[in-house]
Amino acid sequence: MPSIIAARGVEKIFRQPRRLPGFIGGLRTLFTREFTEVRAVDGISFDIAAGEATGYLGPNGAGKSTMIKMMTGILVPTAGTLSVLGREPHSNRILNAAEIGVVFGQRSQLWWDLPVRDSFDLNRHIYDIPAGRFTENLRYLTAMLDMGGYIDRPVRQLSLGQRMRAEIAMALLHDPKILFLDEPTIGLDVVAKDAVRKFLAEVNRERGTTIILTTHDLVDIEEICPRLIMVDDGKLLFDGELKRLRATLGSRRRLTLEFAGDPGPIILTSATLTADDGAAKHFLLEDESVSLLDVLEELGRGHGLKDVKLEEPDIEEVIRTFYKTKPQLAGAAP
Amino acid sequence: MKVSAYPAFTVTAFLSRLVYRNQVWSGVFGELVATFAFIAVWTAAFSGSRNVDGVTLPDMVTYVLIAGPLLNWNTTRYIREVGDSIRNGDVTVFLLKPLHYPALLFFNQLGNNAFEQLTITLPVAVIVALTVGLLPPASPAHGLLFLAFWAVSWCMLFLIATLTGLLAFWLLTAFSLEWFLRGIMALASGAVVPLWFMPGALAALLGHLPFAWVSYYPSAVYLGKLDAPTSGVYLLIGLSWLAALAALAGWLWSRARHRLVVQGG
Ligand SMILES: Nc1ncnc2c1ncn2[C@@H]1O[C@H](COP(=O)(O)OP(=O)(O)OP(=O)(O)O)[C@@H](O)[C@H]1O
Ligand SMILES: [Mg+2]
Repeated sequence: MPSIIAARGVEKIFRQPRRLPGFIGGLRTLFTREFTEVRAVDGISFDIAAGEATGYLGPNGAGKSTMIKMMTGILVPTAGTLSVLGREPHSNRILNAAEIGVVFGQRSQLWWDLPVRDSFDLNRHIYDIPAGRFTENLRYLTAMLDMGGYIDRPVRQLSLGQRMRAEIAMALLHDPKILFLDEPTIGLDVVAKDAVRKFLAEVNRERGTTIILTTHDLVDIEEICPRLIMVDDGKLLFDGELKRLRATLGSRRRLTLEFAGDPGPIILTSATLTADDGAAKHFLLEDESVSLLDVLEELGRGHGLKDVKLEEPDIEEVIRTFYKTKPQLAGAAP
Repeated sequence: MKVSAYPAFTVTAFLSRLVYRNQVWSGVFGELVATFAFIAVWTAAFSGSRNVDGVTLPDMVTYVLIAGPLLNWNTTRYIREVGDSIRNGDVTVFLLKPLHYPALLFFNQLGNNAFEQLTITLPVAVIVALTVGLLPPASPAHGLLFLAFWAVSWCMLFLIATLTGLLAFWLLTAFSLEWFLRGIMALASGAVVPLWFMPGALAALLGHLPFAWVSYYPSAVYLGKLDAPTSGVYLLIGLSWLAALAALAGWLWSRARHRLVVQGG
């Protein structure tokens, strides 16, 4: 499939005049030629195909928002090339804007004092959406995002979850080819997060809208995005399927053996003991080829084994392991 | 997008203001007090004489209303909005849309202003007309010319306010700039004292600055103090000023946008 977003060695360096403390310092700032440089995005390359859903993950200050701003054309890269839908986004800002939808979790695009519907209607004019298409989309979005109860209420009266759903609907009314979301689930409770995730996954699947979202919440990625791009300190750490990340790091499954009584120390070659609570013993399975059967075979009969629990590592743990072991892996990454 | 999308912003801005319609009463009251204070001052200044330098008291009453509430609308709120939205980055929301931001500001402010004219200036004008009396335009031709001057006046004040808001982005102190502008406007626009009552040299100087097109020239045309050919000349000069200020605002905006997209604000 042809890629609709292509980043090649994209860099963004923020240069800010060095601020000196105090009033005199403030005045000197006007004349100083000293700058502090922040390398927010540092040589990032990737390709995104039409219809993909990609999660952009990284700790605070990793350069996620900066990258989104460059792809949406409101920030110019310092170096490298960036192409969105075949165009350079910042020099074609208006053309680009007409074909993408953007949601900033921290910044509202709705008209604060007016009913949600009025903001939607304004978008109909801004994007010149044909009347039939608009009605159809509005009906679909209202039903899918369950907005019927508050679409005629002023935005300032809405809960954060309701507002976020309205923001997402607003960004989709004009059938954008790509939907960019910068932390769309920030501040939402579990139920609201779930509604947003289900909806985004559905939009990606049913309508084929390409989705790129940044987040701190790994579940977002697990539920919406098969593909993960991980960045830290402006640099790309990992780009690929979530499954592959798990495989790269080894699955590190957790095994708990429960016995009727304390069987005394148990030593296995296939599993490493991590904690011993007497009747319950916890192990880590580092080697993926080891099966539960292998472990039980090695253990043998006669210990009064009562229960066995094998847990797949959750994504949080995978990522945490990744950050811990980052130095070696980053060296190995392309 | 189509150009016809911009008027939708005028409607939206108007509707937004309608939400706070309960607040208009204080606006009407304030404007009414100010207008009657000015009328009282002019009544005292005329102290019984029918005519001062060819100007009558009814002329001045009408002048107070046109030059003040009608043409010299309050820019404070708008200037704050422009400066703040650039400084705190809210402007990026608009940059994400297929829109020209300055055009959006223009139509947005048109909606805000239409609201204020309808809810504040109109009631005040009706009350003044019923109590003290207002004059009609000096002639149908002056009435038509006034409409053209009114449009120029609106654009002039919009551009002056936009320039102030954009400058505030660099100077980071919208507050002092606003007060500075307010002082200049009170004197140079002719909203308080018409240029025809000012000393010759001052009037000649102010008569060539863009501020005079906000209040003085449109009001003078309405009252028939300028004949049609002279009005035409001043209309052209006003349009030239508009072009110059629009170019300056466009340049400042492109600098501000450059800074936003390159330095991230
Ligand atoms: N306009 C700016 N001027 C100077 N530095 C900036 C600017 N915007 C971002 N930065 C810096 O660039 C780096 C990356 O910021 P960015 O907002 O992209 O991070 P992020 O990954 O979105 O973080 P978060 O998860 O906290 O939202 C940070 O060190 C930040 O301080
Ligand atoms: Mg961010």
